[in-house]
Amino acid sequence: MDAWPILIAGMLVGTMSIVCFTWARPWGVVGGMRVWADWLFYGLGLYSQAPRSVLIDTNSVITLGLIYGAFGAALIAGKFAFRFPPRMEIYKAMVGGTLMGFGASWAGGCNIGGFYSAISALSLSGFAMAVGLIGGAYLGLKYLYWEMEHFPSAAGGSAADGEGKKGFDWNKIKPLLGWIVLLGGYAAFQVYKYEGYTIIGGIFLCGMAFGIILNRANFCFARAFREPFMTGEAEVPRAVIISIMISVVGFAILKWTGFRAEGSYVTATFGLGSLVGGFIFGFGMLLAGGCGSGTAWRVAEGQVKLMVVLVFFASSNSLTKVWVNSSETLQTIKGFKVYLPDYLGYEITVIATIGLLLLWYLLVCYNEETDKFVVEM
Amino acid sequence: MVDVTADETLDCRGLSCPMPVLKTKKALAALGSGKVLEIMATDPGTGNDMPKTAKKNSGEYLGNKEGDGYTSYYIKKN
Repeated sequence: MDAWPILIAGMLVGTMSIVCFTWARPWGVVGGMRVWADWLFYGLGLYSQAPRSVLIDTNSVITLGLIYGAFGAALIAGKFAFRFPPRMEIYKAMVGGTLMGFGASWAGGCNIGGFYSAISALSLSGFAMAVGLIGGAYLGLKYLYWEMEHFPSAAGGSAADGEGKKGFDWNKIKPLLGWIVLLGGYAAFQVYKYEGYTIIGGIFLCGMAFGIILNRANFCFARAFREPFMTGEAEVPRAVIISIMISVVGFAILKWTGFRAEGSYVTATFGLGSLVGGFIFGFGMLLAGGCGSGTAWRVAEGQVKLMVVLVFFASSNSLTKVWVNSSETLQTIKGFKVYLPDYLGYEITVIATIGLLLLWYLLVCYNEETDKFVVEM
Repeated sequence: MVDVTADETLDCRGLSCPMPVLKTKKALAALGSGKVLEIMATDPGTGNDMPKTAKKNSGEYLGNKEGDGYTSYYIKKN
């Protein structure tokens, strides 16, 4: 099946971002993974306090929904298969995932929580993380070029598992299984409703919608930051920028009218937190081969490398959070909250935010024409 | 679906984004004019990337062919 056009996907994501916030809360990805890692460390005796239930904690539910929806979508589209990477890729997954978790903790979230939803939430930290992500992606790409020169045979490749085996041909029923999975998700919503957790059930559905859209369009933020340096192409960054513009307008309305709390998703990370955290995350995601949301939907379609990334991403995020929270000095270094409307008022904030995003849009278009920022191999 | 004989083969099976594109870019740079490169890949996104990668690197995308658990993409160097 053909991939969904990336610009349309971007617009759908922007719309879903508003829907999700209106329903309950902004979307994020690493938060849920961190809860799962918290449970692992609690089980191992490292943490004394049990985290909230993975089926009730909203961070966990939205990420579960994302993976689940992407899984169903991948089955329907014939994209699901276990893909086993060579050893070098596994090492990159471990290092990349660890850096992503560390960076996301400092930045107050991953490419979604710390960047996408942060800008949407009118927090200046979102732009700071964007600057960091650009720098990190640039360095990450330079590293990949270097690796290709010095370890060319290391990325040899190994065959995917699943297809072509003798016996039952799973490919014939994968699309049907996919539809059953998606219907199962709706059934899960009914269960949540029945148990008195309608809002959380709705968050799960929102997560599923994100997962379906991202997977079907192969929508990846790592690409958005990498492509201008790698190929000069602007299609993916344009889609991300348009997506955020839509989300910003929705969030501004929700906050300005008082329907949603002004402080929502405004984290005390404007400072080294967002900038350096973004840089480290950006570098890590190039090694990992996926951003936070990209990791989630790629896991759902059977990519084993990203499963390794998820484990290290979640674990390092959990441990870093505990470390930073244990020290007031570290929290000060991380930064402070900058809610733009507090300084500029809502009207100027929206104009300035859209303006900055437009500037970025024009810059990537200019780069597409001139290859000015393309890094040669 | 195409039926083409490749002059050179690049095995990107098991590799995920962006490695197949990067390795193709490098292989195309070294490829002689008129020669055909076959890229074996398992990453689902590769199908969308190959036509653009070909164009950007002085190549013509000829099409793809399903293999046993992977897809082969064919690019002819201009």
